[in-house]
Amino acid sequence: MSIVGQRKTKEEVKDALKDIASEMHNKMEKGVPPSMTLPVRSKTNIGFDNKLGVYKYGKKKSTRDATSLGSARQLLRSLHVTEFIEQMIDSGKSSTLREMYYISEAWGHGKFGSQNESNNLAEDLEIVTKCLREDFKLRPEEDGARIIGNVTFEERNRKGDWMRINCRDDVGDSGYGVPYNVEAEKLTLIEEDVDFIMAIETGGMFDRLVENGFDEEARCALIHLKGQPARSTRRIMKRMSQEWNKPIIVFADCDPWSFRIYASIAYGAIKTAHISEYLATKGAQYLGITADDILAYDLPSDELTKQDLSALDSELTDPRFNTGYWKDQINLMKEIGKKAEQQSLAKYGLDFVTDTYLPEKLADIGLGY
Amino acid sequence: MVDARDISGKQKQIAVSEFFEKNKHFLGFDSLQRSLITAVKEAVDNSLDACEEARILPNIVVEINRLKGEDIELISQDNGPGIPRDAIENVFGKFLLGSRFHAIRQTRGQQGIGITGVVMYAQLTTGAKTRVISKIANDSSAVFVELGLDTRKNRAIKSKERREVWIDENTGEEVRHGLKISTIMKAKYQRGKQSVYQYLRMTSIVNPHATISLIVRGRDGEILEEGKWIRTSERLPRVVEEIKPHPHGIQLGTLQRMLRESEQRKMTSFLRHNFSGVSVRAAKEVLSTSAIEDDRVPKRINSEDAKKLIASFQKVKLLPPPTDCLSPIDDLLIKKGLSKAIDSRFASTVTRLPTVSQGNPFQIEVGLVFGGDISADGPIEVLRFANRVPLMYQQGGCALTKAIESIDWKRYGLDHPGGKGLPKGAAAVLIHLASTNVQFTSEAKEAVADNEEVFDEIRKGLLEVGRGLKNHLKKKDQRKKAKEKFELVNVILPEIAKKTSKILGREEPDLAPVITQIMNAVFCEEELGWDKERKLATCSIKIFNYTARARAYTILLKWPENENITMVENSNGGRKEARGIWAWRLDTLNPGTSTTISVSLSGLSKGDWTDTDIFFRGNGDIIGATKIDEKILEEIRKSEALTAIRNEISESESQEVNEVVSERELVEKEETNNSDGINIFADFEEGSE
Repeated sequence: MSIVGQRKTKEEVKDALKDIASEMHNKMEKGVPPSMTLPVRSKTNIGFDNKLGVYKYGKKKSTRDATSLGSARQLLRSLHVTEFIEQMIDSGKSSTLREMYYISEAWGHGKFGSQNESNNLAEDLEIVTKCLREDFKLRPEEDGARIIGNVTFEERNRKGDWMRINCRDDVGDSGYGVPYNVEAEKLTLIEEDVDFIMAIETGGMFDRLVENGFDEEARCALIHLKGQPARSTRRIMKRMSQEWNKPIIVFADCDPWSFRIYASIAYGAIKTAHISEYLATKGAQYLGITADDILAYDLPSDELTKQDLSALDSELTDPRFNTGYWKDQINLMKEIGKKAEQQSLAKYGLDFVTDTYLPEKLADIGLGY
Repeated sequence: MVDARDISGKQKQIAVSEFFEKNKHFLGFDSLQRSLITAVKEAVDNSLDACEEARILPNIVVEINRLKGEDIELISQDNGPGIPRDAIENVFGKFLLGSRFHAIRQTRGQQGIGITGVVMYAQLTTGAKTRVISKIANDSSAVFVELGLDTRKNRAIKSKERREVWIDENTGEEVRHGLKISTIMKAKYQRGKQSVYQYLRMTSIVNPHATISLIVRGRDGEILEEGKWIRTSERLPRVVEEIKPHPHGIQLGTLQRMLRESEQRKMTSFLRHNFSGVSVRAAKEVLSTSAIEDDRVPKRINSEDAKKLIASFQKVKLLPPPTDCLSPIDDLLIKKGLSKAIDSRFASTVTRLPTVSQGNPFQIEVGLVFGGDISADGPIEVLRFANRVPLMYQQGGCALTKAIESIDWKRYGLDHPGGKGLPKGAAAVLIHLASTNVQFTSEAKEAVADNEEVFDEIRKGLLEVGRGLKNHLKKKDQRKKAKEKFELVNVILPEIAKKTSKILGREEPDLAPVITQIMNAVFCEEELGWDKERKLATCSIKIFNYTARARAYTILLKWPENENITMVENSNGGRKEARGIWAWRLDTLNPGTSTTISVSLSGLSKGDWTDTDIFFRGNGDIIGATKIDEKILEEIRKSEALTAIRNEISESESQEVNEVVSERELVEKEETNNSDGINIFADFEEGSE
């Protein structure tokens, strides 16, 4: 079931949350332990949704019931969060996930043990209620991406006015900062004059391409992912790809963690598989750095660590990487036992990446200029 | 071994210094490090023995000061009875003096050659005289004297003797009684497993009634190492009785000497008066089996006949030797001793009943501590003792260590890779062998020789403490789970119900059926405490029925019952099931209800009772309690009966009433019981798994 485009009203969100409390209450009235049913959130329970073209949770369900202390605490926390969200909706406020974590200090036995617990619980509630975090008035702590390139948005500012921003002419060197909420109520895509959108993993490479004027030279918009991309970053790429029909190209390090960044952009992340169709951009392409590149360009490289190797092995059993291309890349990487950073291209000078590497790689996928 | 009489006797007048030189490896003076430990050991052992005899709670201070080169000053001071002026020369100046080489009883000083060795070693290595200050309570002043040795004549040379009031340097007060020795010797102070520190630490464990302190200073007076072990018990070890040798342990040479030195005129009286365990009847039987007439004069028995006697000793049924010549530490005191030296979470100790091996009474005590500050890396610490003396060398070759290694510790919750060698983990194991005749592997007296009976006794003791550890670990785990469940149903669940009701605006549901479903078990929670006001150890046992059915149980509590420890309060009556086991038959417990039993014990100190076992009788499990094995109870009762018989024996032996009639009967009783083994938990443990 798709969430996109069917945003819920405040009342609907509150009712959905109340259903969770009802399930628990009804169970207790029947004399059985209260519970909450959730899909299993691991790589063993994600499958490709042919209709949506992304990975979604499968049919495996787990029941969180109050027969163990840990689960019972989770249920109690869910109720505290429900109450908290209701209050925010009624008073027109919002809070960060971190703020909620601190607010939980006052929840006695329902308080969170760590920030991670509160983040996970917020996701659990999204899944069960089929609402979005934004509906709950909860926002993430991490900042969104930066964008530079000839694309124009309109963003509603704090005063409620729509502001028009061109990401080449109206911004400084750090680019346009993507807000945490990039839904229609907050952001509109106005116009563009680019051929594709390139997502870059590291800040160093993003700045290099900006300094070298690559956005204008190659007619593209550059997005700095800041590591594992935030939800709003993935969402804005999805919207640009969908509304402007532009290809999304991913340029990252060559290591197992970068492959996962790509997978979360192109296929959906395991943790957010309930909203993959809303965040993932099917057809996003991995440009490099690939294991082949390490050999082909003779790049300076590091030995794979034990953790790297087990991450690669884990990817081999991840359905998202179950393609000929990825199997080859992963196996080749294991074979050569090396990984390389984007910035290792500087071995051949600062302009090598924009003069040689990217033009060659882009030409390979038919985006030559 | 060296025969004392050959050296101290008048027959052979060999130079003592020569003897010392030749034998210093087993006198404990073979290396610079070990010489220091031996010297401290001789001084401290003497102090402990003297205090024990004079019934004084010992305070012992050992000071070690590094001087120039390899010279070390050793000072040892106690608050013992002191030595009368006339005896000083003998105590410090003669080798192997004293009655202990002839009497059969358990003493510390069976090792080494006593304090004389220290005087000699100091003299030989640095030429220093040993300074002694001795004050006895009855004298108005103390004796100050310096001692050297005339090694040719085997006697002490006194010099600079004077009498004056002895003022303690540290307190500034006059010393009422005590002894202070100081001397200078070539030696080396080292830290670690084989150090003076470790020796004193171990000594303090088996002497919980002693306060011992150590201070080690460097050349500039800086403190290198310090230790203070304060007494944890005011109870002095009991005075041990001397006993006569038992025929089963006698050797031909000894028998011949005894015959030669005897003053009796008849053989029956010789046997009766010189041996333990020999009744009139048994003496007659021995003689008739050996074909020796009763009216032979013992002095004139030839070696042929002596051999016959030895053979008959093995054929005739004899009473075992009395065991009151042994001085066990007592399991509670071991616990205190251990707690004074090691910070742990769990301690289990056991004092086995005395037994006899080849005519020698012996007794085993075992202690195990776990958790707390003990390092979890590497093998467990082994603390070996023979007659309260720490054994610090040759750990691997010692029967006490081998007994530890022979246990499958994995079954008791310790890491034991391959089941070989010492187990690993945060534990220390103590073994104390008390015996009138500890057999060592060599004259160095650092490793106990293999002896099947001793080995078996240690194993049984270890299995018992091991079982305690296993229970402790299991209980810890159960307790954690039970605690979680309690929090779940008593705290979290009601909050969930409150919240859902509030969010939905509905009435709070009745949680009883939900709780029953979540718990679905009977729980037992015990809490051991200490009533400071009234000096009582308390125990409360709470039983919760969280099942859907009514339950009925008998709850049994294990408590440290003995002559001094009694149950002074008991909320629910009940009855004694066996020694140390109290039972309560509970009224029917309805679903969702709980009941509490509480008791208080007198005769314990704070921290004595920190762990116990709760058993139950009835259908279905109780989390937090163990189903009683009726076999164990039966064995406890048997062991009780055995103790009663033992008491009966010792009474009847001293009175010798109806001897002929009752003796045989008693021997048989004794034997049947003995063959079952005395320590029941250990046997059961072995057999049941």
